[in-house]
Amino acid sequence: MKGYRKYFGKKILWFLLTLVAAVILNFILPRLMPADPVAAITGKMASGMTDASAVQEVYKRYEAEFGTNKPLFQQFLIFVKNLFRGVLGTSFSQYPRKVSDIISSAIGWTIGLQLPAILVGWLLGNILGALAAYIRKGFDKVLLPVALFLSNVPAFGMAVTLLVIFAVNLKIAPVSGGYAFDLLPSVSWKFFQSVISHYQLPFWSVVLVSIGGQAIGMRSMSIYELNADYVKYARFLGIKDRKIVGYVFRNAMLPQVTGLALSIGTMIGGALVAEIIFSYPGLGSTMYSAVTAADYPLISATTLIITVMVLIVTFLLDIIYGFIDPRVKAAQFDV
Amino acid sequence: MKHTLRQVFHSSKFLVGFIIFLLILLTIWIYPFFNPGNPLEMIGVGTFARPGSYVSLYDALNTSTETLRLADADDKRLDKLLSDTDRISMLDWFDSAGVDVGDLDIEDTDTLLDLWFANYSSDLKPAGMTNAKRNYYKRLNNSLMQVRAADTLTITDVDEATGDPVTKGTVTKTDYVNIGQVANVKRLPLGTDNFGRDVLKELVSATGTSIIIGLIAGVVATLIGLTLGLLAGYVGGLADDIIMFITNIFTVIPSFVLLILISYSIGQEQRGASVVAIVIGFTSWTWTARSVRSQVISLRNRDHVNLSKLSGHSLVRIIATDILPYIASYVVMAFILQVSSGILSEAQLSLLGLGPKTTVTPTLGLMMNWAMLYSAHTNGSWWAYFPVILTITLISFSLNLMNTGLDQVFNPTLRD
Amino acid sequence: MGKIMLEVKDLKTKYVTRFHEDVYAVDGVSFRIEEGKSLGVAGESGCGKSTLALSMMGYYFPPLHYISGDIIIDGKDISGLDPDTVRKTVLGTEIAYIPQAAMNALNPTQKIIRFVEDVIRAHDPKADRKEIRARAEARFAELGLPADVLDKHAVELSGGMKQRTVIAVSTILSPKVLIADEPSSALDVTSQKMVIKMLRELMEKGYIKSMLFITHELPLLYNVTDDIMVMYAGQIVEKGSAKEMVFDPIHPYSHGLMGSILVPEEGTRGTTLTAIPGTPPNLKKPPRGCRFAERCRYATDECRYHAVAEKPFGEGRSYRCILPVDKLREVYENE
Repeated sequence: MKGYRKYFGKKILWFLLTLVAAVILNFILPRLMPADPVAAITGKMASGMTDASAVQEVYKRYEAEFGTNKPLFQQFLIFVKNLFRGVLGTSFSQYPRKVSDIISSAIGWTIGLQLPAILVGWLLGNILGALAAYIRKGFDKVLLPVALFLSNVPAFGMAVTLLVIFAVNLKIAPVSGGYAFDLLPSVSWKFFQSVISHYQLPFWSVVLVSIGGQAIGMRSMSIYELNADYVKYARFLGIKDRKIVGYVFRNAMLPQVTGLALSIGTMIGGALVAEIIFSYPGLGSTMYSAVTAADYPLISATTLIITVMVLIVTFLLDIIYGFIDPRVKAAQFDV
Repeated sequence: MKHTLRQVFHSSKFLVGFIIFLLILLTIWIYPFFNPGNPLEMIGVGTFARPGSYVSLYDALNTSTETLRLADADDKRLDKLLSDTDRISMLDWFDSAGVDVGDLDIEDTDTLLDLWFANYSSDLKPAGMTNAKRNYYKRLNNSLMQVRAADTLTITDVDEATGDPVTKGTVTKTDYVNIGQVANVKRLPLGTDNFGRDVLKELVSATGTSIIIGLIAGVVATLIGLTLGLLAGYVGGLADDIIMFITNIFTVIPSFVLLILISYSIGQEQRGASVVAIVIGFTSWTWTARSVRSQVISLRNRDHVNLSKLSGHSLVRIIATDILPYIASYVVMAFILQVSSGILSEAQLSLLGLGPKTTVTPTLGLMMNWAMLYSAHTNGSWWAYFPVILTITLISFSLNLMNTGLDQVFNPTLRD
Repeated sequence: MGKIMLEVKDLKTKYVTRFHEDVYAVDGVSFRIEEGKSLGVAGESGCGKSTLALSMMGYYFPPLHYISGDIIIDGKDISGLDPDTVRKTVLGTEIAYIPQAAMNALNPTQKIIRFVEDVIRAHDPKADRKEIRARAEARFAELGLPADVLDKHAVELSGGMKQRTVIAVSTILSPKVLIADEPSSALDVTSQKMVIKMLRELMEKGYIKSMLFITHELPLLYNVTDDIMVMYAGQIVEKGSAKEMVFDPIHPYSHGLMGSILVPEEGTRGTTLTAIPGTPPNLKKPPRGCRFAERCRYATDECRYHAVAEKPFGEGRSYRCILPVDKLREVYENE
């Protein structure tokens, strides 16, 4: 038990440290750059104004709203204080909506899409990889190149391909959005149906992209485990091959949890771009519209939320891994 | 060294990847000789011209003709004129006009037309048919009549003095011109994009730029990762702690987010292709740093390193002769992966509208971005985006194959 | 003479490499072990000792293949049985195996008791969990293993403890023959002693009826086993009682092998250590004549061209050399 406590303590400490670092980076990176976001926004907002003092007025207003007229450290304190109160500022492009409102309406869509899709992709990939390692021969010869190729299709590429095939040509799925445009979100069967049909293409494009990489990882892990000494030993004690294969896949699959934790950032990045292709009402599309509209507060908040999401998922996976793989526990005793 | 290379090239995976990548590079190098000029030149006025060969109509008319009597020429002409939707519309008309067509095969153009001319009348007003629909059938009928009737088209010009049309010549159905004889023929194997630019030419140029972006990103990431990894692994102690602290943080914070933040902050004007490449490199060094560090730690106390230390060799010399050769394979493998992920990162950034601002050379990401902005995917212009996706996939596929091949050579436990 | 527990007659097996080449690692081996006795196998690495151990199980999977010969355990020939019958009725109950690398012989993510359950249920699918536990606890206690080992994962055990656990699990079904392949070579001296003590106990308490003990450490054999046979290039070159083999080796290879070690016994003082030059022959294409001829100091042309059969001499001893016993003794005497 002491080993576990030490392990979790360390993980929590790391989580908090990275969180702090992420917040600092999120705050400081834009401000280190030579460009003046306030000037850019003023230029946009004041376009058409001819009076220099009126432009100056606008500039002052935004400077005050951002607090960029204060020293950097003070700005940071305000930034952190606001974060704790959940205040993320006001959106420019969707004025006067609060950034926190926009984010909270988008985040559900993103989590609802990506969490199941990545998990399903991970699971299917692992099953295929395990089968490839066990059956070898023909299956492996076909599956491995296909998986390698699939894992190299960019997420947006898969999204566009599925969209064109199933929505544009076969017309069996809607082209864009999270639900039919003539519906309002409500708790009704019709709305639910619409959401489900709009869900299919984005979901499967994320699944298909993540299957390949996972399958390859699982395959080589399984091959490695199949050659392990305990396999031979268990066989010589008369244990059935089917049971031994069970040992092998469990052992090969456990490290894949860590593999998932390590690749989750990249996967989410790709999936966010896939959202844009489908105009799915999640964070990816929010970010896209924020970038096109130069909506500075919205960009900053979306990136922060995405980072925090990735950090939480990574942290949870680490914790889960610590529980299910006794090798971690043993390693902790060794230290 | 020679032996290692031979082993590497014996790996079929590496070889396939290497050949694909080499072919891509060769195309980038050779294609501009056949189709020189600015890849971003807008040759088309409209958007999304279909792939194919374009023959100047003006020049074709002024080219001496050859008479060819081809038996299936009329059928082909009709087939081309009658789209599937037109055929189905004709059936619809028969239905609403109450004409019994039996089990007519709509692909059978002759029977269909015979039936049509026998039954169609523009005066007929089938119940429930809108005016617009009736006008559509009138137009369809007219074009069908034209094909059936006229054997020759007359070309007229306007007399400058009187303003009257003057017959200049006629074109008959059996007139053919040799494409080779026409002064202006433009082949556009992948059509044009939304700005009327030659997609193939643009794609070749974009692939080159994207690979360069990937290479720059890879070099930057490898240099940073190698330096930090060597420092952390070899020097150890506090330097190791600090570097690993930073590395761990940057491993967990998604590089995608950092990329967006930095790219956005740099601003549209400053964001050239090389700047984007360097930024990508700055956000993807963590893997190199980690693997170099762990390799160096295992090497640090090997006998040959200790011998060098005892012989009083300088740090630089020890690293260059006793450490680098042993970790070279890992660094090369990480570099290859970084090149491929760099190309992908550029594409994703561009799709978000944060890609390089360039007026001279396109990138794969920008091409994708333009195609999406102009809804190429929903209006059926597959040539504007599908070759781009395929190219990105092929580059990344070939690089990953090479990497897998190397991995199998250098990590024998994975060999099967 | 006691009851014969294990008899091997002209056993031949081969490895098939990735490049489809045959390696004749066990090439016509015959020997017998009586009830309550142990036989040691000595030889350099690569001489076929470990392959012999694997070949004895009557359960073959690639790259190892059975060619011909009989394995008779307590009067029952197991060499012709189909693999599933062997798995159910022979492995673990008639013959058991202790692998070379006990470090990795246990599945790292499984509790020991679960593994014991799998072993017992492989032969008796209806075995009750509680009964298995009671049986395992009793056996572990009798062999001096702490009870809490059963509820640990392999990764939580020390090297010596792992090896002893492996021995206890291997013999839980009281096999008639135990094959121990270098069970102690990776351990420190203390753990080595405990392992040897445990093997002796197993034999004394009748949990195993006979043992084949393989090692490259000759002094160990002298202390542990009743008889010793020396293997070279897939064949037995000499057999005899442990004492005779150490003090009166006849075959030039055994003689060289004994000369390369020190046995801490009276009468060995003053002997000089010698090493055998060269390496064992390539078993893809074994030499036509005596397999040791290449490295033998006393070899003549005749040795290189004529295969030598095993010749009996003395009290149940045999050797494989064309020179007569007396001649060889004389040569050694004069060195």
